[in-house]
Amino acid sequence: MSTDPGPFERVYDAHVVGIYRFIYARVGNRPDAEDLTAQVFVRAVEQLDTERAPGQVAAWLYRVAQNATADYWRAFYRLPVIGVDHVAPGWEPVDDAGARPRSEPDDGAARRVGALLQRLPEQYRRVLELRFLERLSVAETARAMGISNGNARVLQYRALRRAALIGESADG
Amino acid sequence: MADDPRRPDEAADRFDDYLEALLGAGRPSPESVAGRDEAEMARLAAELAASAAASDETSPDPAFLEQLRRRMREADAGIAAIREPLPIRERPSVEPAGRRRWRLSRRELLQAGIGAAAGLAAGVVGVSLRPTGEAPPAAGDGDTPLVAGEGFWTEVATVADVPEGSAIRFSTAAFDGYVVNDGGEIRALSSVCTHMGCTLRFRPDWRDLRCPCHGASFDLQGRLANSRGRWRSDGAYSGDAEAYPVNLPDLVRPRVKVEDERVWVWTAQV
Repeated sequence: MSTDPGPFERVYDAHVVGIYRFIYARVGNRPDAEDLTAQVFVRAVEQLDTERAPGQVAAWLYRVAQNATADYWRAFYRLPVIGVDHVAPGWEPVDDAGARPRSEPDDGAARRVGALLQRLPEQYRRVLELRFLERLSVAETARAMGISNGNARVLQYRALRRAALIGESADG
Repeated sequence: MADDPRRPDEAADRFDDYLEALLGAGRPSPESVAGRDEAEMARLAAELAASAAASDETSPDPAFLEQLRRRMREADAGIAAIREPLPIRERPSVEPAGRRRWRLSRRELLQAGIGAAAGLAAGVVGVSLRPTGEAPPAAGDGDTPLVAGEGFWTEVATVADVPEGSAIRFSTAAFDGYVVNDGGEIRALSSVCTHMGCTLRFRPDWRDLRCPCHGASFDLQGRLANSRGRWRSDGAYSGDAEAYPVNLPDLVRPRVKVEDERVWVWTAQV
């Protein structure tokens, strides 16, 4: 077997890390990010036309990744997960300039999340900072805030609920 | 979005299971999340966790990358071997690397028309659910090949199971297939790809049967939809990025009948 990486492997090498990061930013954990990344490239092996222009190849990959994360979240919303098959993205006749991959660094997401936190009441922001930024356990968070473990869980729940509400009305 | 006044902590405790998995080493599950509001919260939590994660968290594990690369390489080699124009009706002289023997023999069976067993009987290739007043198509009207044999009718679904534009899988002793409702007409098709015997998947958006192994797409008449010939004559098939390079035999279509809102399929005696 030839050791020269074929065109597909070159695509893989060029994009796997970007695709992984794109997915990770949307699912927030490693096992799911790995699963979905594998899904994207398994589809690509079957369906990606590596002879397309690099911009279109990238756009295709990111479109599949976007659809895969959308399906992932559909399961949480208990919406019918149509399955990855439905998303076979066609090749739109865009020129290279138009086929910008959605791989731009997700500064937008981080900023949005940061802005959301700033709008929360003091206690809600604090509990989320301790849990998410400092990655403290519930027990450590409770101790830091001088409350019980049960209260800490209720507080983080309400904090996320409020943040989701703010987020929704901002989008709406 | 008021708390249930009796048990605010129950929801909070359950939701914390999700957060523990998200922030720890587990895999977060939709089961810990109830309702649309919590789904919104979960998604926000995931984005928050990702944006606050250290850089070694957001980078892929090198072992994972290597394992996936190997898997891609194997898959790509397998598909590349198939994309050479193979003479379908002849036995390949060299077995492609990595193919299991049973697949080849099943493929030969398909080509000989023995593997899928459907029979000629009273009944038709497709049953229209709409009262058109027309006679249903007679047997063997230039349609896809059917294989004769001893057999009997088997009930496989109710009409209600197959609303328009949908399909369901069925298995009889001799046959694996789909019942589809194509614009009001009920039809049965083999679910076995005529290339290497992989199980086809129904795609409602494209109304086709898609092979996950090498990308063949069959229309609901059982014909290869993304063949090169059709690509040229009908234009690019919208369900695929490129034409399938090899001509494949049509899917076998057993007889169906609809009686008392039930769908029956003619299946062979085994």
